[in-house]
Amino acid sequence: MENFDISISERILGLKAKRERINRDLHLNIERNRIITEYYKAHENEYPVLKRAGYLYAWCATREINIEDDDIFLGDAGPHCRTVHFDIEQTSQSWLRGCFGDTDERFRAAWQVPGSIWVDDEDRQWLLEAADYWEGKDIGATARGLFPPEFTENAGPVLKDLTGSYPGHFNPNYERAVTVGFGAVRQTAIEKLDEIRKHTTADNVRSELFYRGLIKVCDGMILMSKRYAEGCRKKAETATPDRRAELLKMADSCDWIVENPARNLWEGFQTIFFYQYLITADGTHWADSPGLIDSFLGPLLENDVNTGALTREQAQELCDAFLLHYGDQIIMFPKPDNDRLIEAHRNGKTMFDLQGGMQNIAAGSLITLGGQKTDGTGDYNLATEMLLLSYYRLRVAEPSLALRINKHTPDRIWEIGIACSKRSGGLPQFNNDDVIIQTMLDKGVPLEDARRYAVFGCVEPAISGKEWSMAANCGGFGGGSSLINILQYVIHGNVNPMMGTPGMLPCKKLYEYESFEELKAEFERQVRFYIDYGARLYHFAALVFDQAWPCLSASVMTEGCLESGKDVTWGGAKYNGMGSMLSAVATVGDSLMTIKKLCFDDKTVSARELYDALQANWEGHELLRQRILNEVPFYGNDNDEPDALVQWFTNLWADHFNSRPGVNHGTNNCGALDLYWVWGGKMTWATPDGRKTGDPLSPSSDPRQDAVKNGPLAYVKSVAKMPWDKMRCGGAINLRFDANSVRGEDATAKVRELIQSYFAMGGIQFHFTVADTAIMRAAQKNPQDYQDLIVRIAGFSAYFTHLPFDDQENYIARYEIGV
Amino acid sequence: MEYQNVTGRIYDIQGYAVHDGPGIRTTVYTKGCPLRCLWCHSPESQYHSLELGYLPVKCLGVDLCQNACVSACPNGAISAGEPVRALDGSGELRKAMIDRAKCTGCLKCTKACITKALYPSGRDTTVDEVYERLDKDRGFFKNGGGITISGGEAMAQFEFTLNLAKRLKDSGLHICLDTTGFAPTEEFKQILPYIDLFLYDIKHMDTLMHKKLTGVGNELILTNARFLAEHGGALQIRVPVIPKLTDKEDNLRATAAFCAELGEAVKLVQLLPYHATGRMKYDRLGWHYKLKNVEPPTEDFMNRILALFQSYGLSAQLY
Repeated sequence: MENFDISISERILGLKAKRERINRDLHLNIERNRIITEYYKAHENEYPVLKRAGYLYAWCATREINIEDDDIFLGDAGPHCRTVHFDIEQTSQSWLRGCFGDTDERFRAAWQVPGSIWVDDEDRQWLLEAADYWEGKDIGATARGLFPPEFTENAGPVLKDLTGSYPGHFNPNYERAVTVGFGAVRQTAIEKLDEIRKHTTADNVRSELFYRGLIKVCDGMILMSKRYAEGCRKKAETATPDRRAELLKMADSCDWIVENPARNLWEGFQTIFFYQYLITADGTHWADSPGLIDSFLGPLLENDVNTGALTREQAQELCDAFLLHYGDQIIMFPKPDNDRLIEAHRNGKTMFDLQGGMQNIAAGSLITLGGQKTDGTGDYNLATEMLLLSYYRLRVAEPSLALRINKHTPDRIWEIGIACSKRSGGLPQFNNDDVIIQTMLDKGVPLEDARRYAVFGCVEPAISGKEWSMAANCGGFGGGSSLINILQYVIHGNVNPMMGTPGMLPCKKLYEYESFEELKAEFERQVRFYIDYGARLYHFAALVFDQAWPCLSASVMTEGCLESGKDVTWGGAKYNGMGSMLSAVATVGDSLMTIKKLCFDDKTVSARELYDALQANWEGHELLRQRILNEVPFYGNDNDEPDALVQWFTNLWADHFNSRPGVNHGTNNCGALDLYWVWGGKMTWATPDGRKTGDPLSPSSDPRQDAVKNGPLAYVKSVAKMPWDKMRCGGAINLRFDANSVRGEDATAKVRELIQSYFAMGGIQFHFTVADTAIMRAAQKNPQDYQDLIVRIAGFSAYFTHLPFDDQENYIARYEIGV
Repeated sequence: MEYQNVTGRIYDIQGYAVHDGPGIRTTVYTKGCPLRCLWCHSPESQYHSLELGYLPVKCLGVDLCQNACVSACPNGAISAGEPVRALDGSGELRKAMIDRAKCTGCLKCTKACITKALYPSGRDTTVDEVYERLDKDRGFFKNGGGITISGGEAMAQFEFTLNLAKRLKDSGLHICLDTTGFAPTEEFKQILPYIDLFLYDIKHMDTLMHKKLTGVGNELILTNARFLAEHGGALQIRVPVIPKLTDKEDNLRATAAFCAELGEAVKLVQLLPYHATGRMKYDRLGWHYKLKNVEPPTEDFMNRILALFQSYGLSAQLY
């Protein structure tokens, strides 16, 4: 039995409890939006990269320096601990008017009751005025000014409205921030600037402006750190003797760090936080992740322990505190309207309950541990172990956690990792270095960089600190289309039966195809068309940012930008990537299998009958539906026929998408992940696999919830057949065990074997949870007794009791591995 | 090869059978057992004959399938039950109701049932077919895992089990045989070369008690254990700890002493606390669960037994 130390210090317990209290008393970040609005108003004609730099400097220079009485680390991205962020320039205007322009009564019921994200009357007024200012000037407005009409008029499935937001989804170069510092970056920028000024050309004229912006951002960051030093000293005047000593020590550190490389573990962590605040203030980036954090903090930690500057307990306490505070970055997404908020408050729920089923609340951030050095040797150290142990001890659902696995992974790291995921479902997810590094090589990344990948967001690997990867969300413009919607067009003659709206490629109806091959060919034609369409859209989305919305907080550290004189949004990063995620793989595969077997191979059901049954949402056709559910072989059972269909269309998608020209001369990266199959199912009409209108789709690339009939190994083998070597954007198998199947002295070894077997078959990421159906039923009845129950939903883990009822039921319906 | 067409009767094949020997295993369960242990957690394995299994939760009412099972039954054993509320709230339905007294086990209804609420409690197969299914899981067996042949009592279908073991051995897989030990010694002699590890139950050391609890005495079982130990067999002894029935100290001491006497052949002793998870399987078969009022032993008690076995110099674990 695993038995790792869980004696958490009083101070950490206090900090954890404090966060649980704050979750019911959150504040919206008005400060950041006031600063940017005032700056942009006063500098309307400033060149975008200078305007952004000016704002960031103003933010560093004027933001509130908040130092909590009891915290081990300083500050927050907003004026409160766990401030909730949103960006006013990110097409928020209609949302703002909807929420804050509502009647007084409804506004108060949504935003001024216990459990709400507090907005006071004065801020409400200001937000409404600001919405007027930003109308026609926000990111969506830039998009409207440059998107071709095919994307904005009659855009059908792809683009409903232009709600642009900063893309996020990258690994900022925290390593450079911690080990090099903003002072050295600033110095290099000054030298580069001087060089350019001597010889201005058409190619480098924009770089001059970029370097000026970069220098300003560095100045701002150095200033902010010194303002925190000053704040500590002021706070020390009235503090207890112990706290005073601590604050004065922090003050000395803040005078040094940011400008200079961190000298010890605390300084390393604090530098990460200061940089995180800047990134959040810049563009509330969703899913930015700190990269190979143990790799660059390990030497600091080990030095502190070896020199006696920290005891092991003190070092562990710092890791615990880091984990708690890193999860304090909260972003309002999706933005709830007043109806939903009022309804939630009426039921005693909070924003956490509204969002908990949707994603990782801590801004989708993910910590990657372990891996390889550039020379291919293992990269595991005391920081790997201690940060992993912090997850084991604290049982927090976010930030998310990825553990890199390779032949160098020490047994102890395996053991803690598996023990940790047993306690906190899916934390960590296990990543297969062998295949992921190969996908990086396939993208053209040299081996030494490929070995330094880190995962961000949910499952997406990218080169740590060197890649600007707009990931799955296409810069907030919603790219691509889902396979299941394309299949619906193919079945219903280019109509989405849920919306009643046409798609973009006229085609036959299910009963008009002469053969299954003809239907497959039509599906393929449509898949290629929508991928082309989405890939084209990505280029325009990238142009929106290139045009007016640079991202200096990323550029200041990302490798390649300082060197090339280009912002990340201009293609400055060393590597560039854009993702597209496959979803509802089993729903599509099983639907194709049903059509193939019943209508074309066995001919026991006419295509017309199946079509009519679908149109009627199975009403009056229940017997047919039951036959499908019980007779048709579905994906997830190691049955080669349905599995081959899944292989066919996932290869098709991956090959075609990966080969499209990428934005900023980067690569397109296919992956397989879905966070919204319950919600997506509500938007999807009945499907041939026997699924009824509104029922959940299948989760990501896992089999549909009730189709696993040949046990767990067959399940794992089916999923392993996916072309993971082409899934550069990640994708996971997500298993649920009952407690009985992971008990016993050798249980950890057997779970490890299962993971290694899946990896040997080519799988890239493995997530698992231990949660008995009976335990979850009990948790539904008595949630107060199961506050720590964490389950893996998709690329994120969530507290089971916070999930909406539908998501709880869907999770319970997942296949349970029991022995 | 000649053995491939040997037929046998099984009731399940399960992957990730992690409690059936070392590593990740896939277990094939044969049907039929000469013992009738009171605590048996797989009642569907006891008889060689195929019984009618029924999962009422899967029945969507005989009105939907137009009385498919009712009309398929030649003995009038199935009828429509009283209306009950449908699980999805879509109204009421009349589920199939089985009169077990009239059922002859012809299983015609299982072929008619679309939702597979009615199912046969096993199926006939061949060595070849089973091998092909088991072989699919080979990729999971790299670190000591493999195939476990279990039951029922696999030795009760000796031809099938022997040939399956040969077939698996030929292909280089690690094989465990999960057995009660109740089979002719000659047959154990024949199968010994093909079995890497015997998962061997010692249920009670007193033969009269053994007969009371399982229906047979223990002489043959103990003889076979000694035979295997003396002839190079590797044994993993499994001791069920059933409160009030097998958990008396003198019995446990005698069991430990017996295991110790077997010497090097015993690689591990696993102490299996009673659990009631098999109880609902009796309902599906329409049988009575005989072991009432027995609660699982406490962790504390199990730890004491573990210490007892270890005091005999045995490598032992709780399972």
